[in-house]
Amino acid sequence: MIWLTWRQFRSQAVSSLAVLAAFAILLGATGPHLANLYAGSGVASCHGQGCQNPANAFLDQVSGVYSLVFTLGLAAVILAPAVIGIFWGAPLIAREFETGTFRLAWTQGVTRARWTAAKLALPGLTAIAVTEGLSLMYGWWAAPIGEAARLDPGPGPGFPLGMGPFGLPGFDAHGVVPAGYAAFGFTLGVTVGLLFRRALPAMAITLAVFAAAGVAMPLAVRPNLFPPAHATQSLTQNFSGGQSVSPGGKFTFALDYLDSQPGAWILSSGAVNATGQPVSVMPAACGGAAVGPSDLSHCLASHGIGVAVSYQPTSRFWPIQWAETGIYLALALALAGFCYWRVGRRVP
Amino acid sequence: MTAVIETEGLGKRYRRQWALAGCTLSVPAGRVVGLVGPNGAGKSTLLNLTAGLLKPTAGTIRVLGDPPPSRPAQLARVGFLAQDAPVYAGLTVAEHLKLGARLNRGWDAGFARRRVDWLGLDPAKPAGRLSGGQRAQLALTLAIGKRPELLILDEPVASLDPLARREFLESLTEAIAERGLTVVLSSHLMADVERVCDYLIVLVGSRVQLTGPAGELLAGYRLRQDPGAPPASLEDMVLATMRHAAGNGDSQLEAQR
Repeated sequence: MIWLTWRQFRSQAVSSLAVLAAFAILLGATGPHLANLYAGSGVASCHGQGCQNPANAFLDQVSGVYSLVFTLGLAAVILAPAVIGIFWGAPLIAREFETGTFRLAWTQGVTRARWTAAKLALPGLTAIAVTEGLSLMYGWWAAPIGEAARLDPGPGPGFPLGMGPFGLPGFDAHGVVPAGYAAFGFTLGVTVGLLFRRALPAMAITLAVFAAAGVAMPLAVRPNLFPPAHATQSLTQNFSGGQSVSPGGKFTFALDYLDSQPGAWILSSGAVNATGQPVSVMPAACGGAAVGPSDLSHCLASHGIGVAVSYQPTSRFWPIQWAETGIYLALALALAGFCYWRVGRRVP
Repeated sequence: MTAVIETEGLGKRYRRQWALAGCTLSVPAGRVVGLVGPNGAGKSTLLNLTAGLLKPTAGTIRVLGDPPPSRPAQLARVGFLAQDAPVYAGLTVAEHLKLGARLNRGWDAGFARRRVDWLGLDPAKPAGRLSGGQRAQLALTLAIGKRPELLILDEPVASLDPLARREFLESLTEAIAERGLTVVLSSHLMADVERVCDYLIVLVGSRVQLTGPAGELLAGYRLRQDPGAPPASLEDMVLATMRHAAGNGDSQLEAQR
């Protein structure tokens, strides 16, 4: 059965190896120079607030080809699980139904349980290996950029996305989560193909469901995997974020970078008074036309107002990575189990 | 003689529609059984139930003593050629034989190779580029190559031209004679069935109307004929059965029997 599965999967396996090789050559050719730039930038040896300038300078140097490779690589790692789910997973069993070959396969001397096991295992494990391989290569290549972005509160304009350890969609391209995505994408495709029995609609539905999961996870699940930490930052500190003041004397502050925790994932932030209660109404002393933006901060600070932040510290990077990978692997196992049961149940 | 296939009140329903209902029959070993009936009579359903590709909605079925598909041992004893002879378009003829060898313990490699040679199939040719007749022959080679005791053929010649049809049936007859297996073959064409089969099951409107050795059935039918009429052929008998079942309902047919 392994032979037949391999024979049917051969061309996909070869093309995925080609993609891996091309990726390795691209990153191998550009990676050393990027590492040299980083070594010369002084980011590796800086401390505390002194890191922001060298980090910013280094990110400014990363342009042209390097910024392109950064984006391309990110896209490759992020899209691999979806592509695998759509092009490997969805047709895997749906095609057997479309062509009627399941009747040939299921009446050979091999049980359907073994047929399903081989069908799921070989392409499934390859999917995980290929995606995680892409991710590890990319993680190695992009490590200097990631470190600099973590230290720089205002990353350069070339990198709107994927900055910092928890950046979107950077988090999804690093660590172990790509393996979980690949396992989930593949088994999702197989399951949808098994249920719909037509490759094309199965591919479309796989894409839709996978995309929905990919949106729901970072927005709804990931922030809540661990209880957030809380901190209050003074308004007189270096401030990165947004503020607004309305004519009626209302104001808001939103922070997107925590000085005490570079790279931390800010979940929510807002102005609070000295006792920790949220405030939105300007103290009378700070109102009026005479007070400019920076004076405003000092004025508010002198009235005991600061910014309260709830966040996931950078030390949570790996716990969140493993928890999310665990969720996706559990989903993948459940889907595989469903396929196993459903094929055994003598469908059509 | 022991029964190869035994069904008791076997039925299969798709949503509201019964594709097969109240099917009770027993197929003895060593026969070449023709399963005949009009399109949509439930022939394919019965054969797919026998091959274990469908699950009965009602009743029981035993194939070689066990409900299909029970164990690998039973899978190995039943060869199945599905309607339209599905093969893997991307795999070559030689790779299909390898598939047979890898997936079946009792695979008869010598037979399969000889048969493919004799058919003149190019081993390096992808199955997707074979003609309909060649594809059916390749699928038949796979089904026989696993050395089954029971061979099930679902409309094996339906899509073939007359020449390919004749060649297929001749080669099938040879293979049957060589191996002494039980064969169940469905067709909506009596001429095909008459050529190779010695046992009949007539299925009309999802119900079994007639079952037994072809010779006995025909002899019995002729006895009931009008004395003046010319002796009926097997085809006449089956057509009359179908007409009765379709037109007059089951009760009159029962009475006539």
